[in-house]
Amino acid sequence: MKKTVDVSIPLGPVHPIFKEPCRIKCETFGEQILAAEVELGYMKKGIERIMVGRPWQEVMFLAERVCGICSVIHNFVFIETMEKISGLNVPDRAAYLRVLANELDRMQSHLIANFSYCYTIEHETIGMYLLNIRETVMDLLEYLTGARVTCAYIIPGGVRFDPDNEDLTRIMKAMDDVERETRRYMSMFESGPLIGLRSKGIGVMTREQAELIHAVGPTARACGITTDLRSDHPTYQRLGFTPVVRTEGDNFARVMLRFQEVLQSVELIRTIIRTLPEGKIRGGGTIGRGETTHRGEAPRGELTYRVKSDTHGRVQEISIQTPSIMNIEACARYMIPGVTSVADVTAAYISSDPCIACTER
Amino acid sequence: MTILQSLKNAVRQRSIHVCYVDTGSCNGCDIEVLACLSPRYDLEQYGIYVHNNPREADVLLIIGGITPQWEDKLRMVWDKIPEPKVAVSIGNCPISGCVFSRPQTLTKAPAKSYIPIAAEVPGCPPRPTEIISAILSVAPHIFKDWEMKR
Repeated sequence: MKKTVDVSIPLGPVHPIFKEPCRIKCETFGEQILAAEVELGYMKKGIERIMVGRPWQEVMFLAERVCGICSVIHNFVFIETMEKISGLNVPDRAAYLRVLANELDRMQSHLIANFSYCYTIEHETIGMYLLNIRETVMDLLEYLTGARVTCAYIIPGGVRFDPDNEDLTRIMKAMDDVERETRRYMSMFESGPLIGLRSKGIGVMTREQAELIHAVGPTARACGITTDLRSDHPTYQRLGFTPVVRTEGDNFARVMLRFQEVLQSVELIRTIIRTLPEGKIRGGGTIGRGETTHRGEAPRGELTYRVKSDTHGRVQEISIQTPSIMNIEACARYMIPGVTSVADVTAAYISSDPCIACTER
Repeated sequence: MTILQSLKNAVRQRSIHVCYVDTGSCNGCDIEVLACLSPRYDLEQYGIYVHNNPREADVLLIIGGITPQWEDKLRMVWDKIPEPKVAVSIGNCPISGCVFSRPQTLTKAPAKSYIPIAAEVPGCPPRPTEIISAILSVAPHIFKDWEMKR
């Protein structure tokens, strides 16, 4: 049969808007995109192969370097897996401080994702404003944990550093600034007529399609699926967490949902600082033998670690499942086909916040 | 030195176009390069503009230990950049492989075995200020009187 495809357009791996290398092959009919395929494999480092046979003290730092943007959640989930294996308990204060670091990390991850989207639709002004808020959040993360990106704050049985009241007051004060600025740029994004033209109704994925392709994280929540593993986490349950859901399922919904989650994180951090219990930050204990699976909610969706360790705490088998692979597949299958111009391909792709370093490891 | 040469030197110092390739990093150095764009560090006040297009670039930033896919492609990207050009490697990975330089790894550091590297910025990840100061200290130095050196 004769194909009705005009041109097959490859985008990438080095492309002005791709922060990480990947290749999108689009089959076009005029400007209309008929089908798309995402080609991965430029970033495979073999982290899981390096991890096998190493003690948890080394695997902890390797787990953090699976993804540099959401490094805290990789640290968080790996350490919780090891605690689950060994039956360690975490003091209340440490459990709250873990969530505090995790929410700061989520805020900076969402802000850089929204910056990337604004940069892609060539609205650099909002993008630069968002990077400016992100620097405030990065400062707080550095203030709390001692490093900007790879902080290794969470250790088995607790956390590394204990902030005093002065530090907490500083974080509380900075949250007011972050909330005010985020609300301002969120309303600019919401009411911008040209932003609406580039975002509303583009890259639409329905709820049924999202369920079929197993989309996770903000991409799924923007289609109306209430899936957020934070609502299963005991510390988040004590903080009264409820997931944010939108129903439109287009680029606009995904970006707005991330803005709403930043505001939700601000509220969570305020609650944590107001109700932070006194006490120790480390419970102690040693890592033992066992095998288990544990899940957590990364900024991009569900993150799973399956670990098998021996009596000395060495990792014998490990497999990591990261969220982005589902969303990249959802992008190639449902969001990109049907968009009416090649410029919208990159916008739809970036709106699902793909992280290639996580995906390929 | 001719007047034309001194004019070229002055212009090249204040107009540096940057392209970056991620050759298998963990994203940590990537977001620190992006943070350089932010109003706090403001890369563009020094005349540095991030293009991410090799054909228009003067400076190539290499981020990450080299994965198998990039072994031949890195050289291709480097060859596409017009002269005069500089390569700066960001982070520990292009220098030594950092935490990925272990048995069973797929990365093959260092980057300087593939293309000539003019400056290396160590750190896991380096701070944005260090990245900016590396670009600013190495690029004008190499571009100065480039036609005479050739």
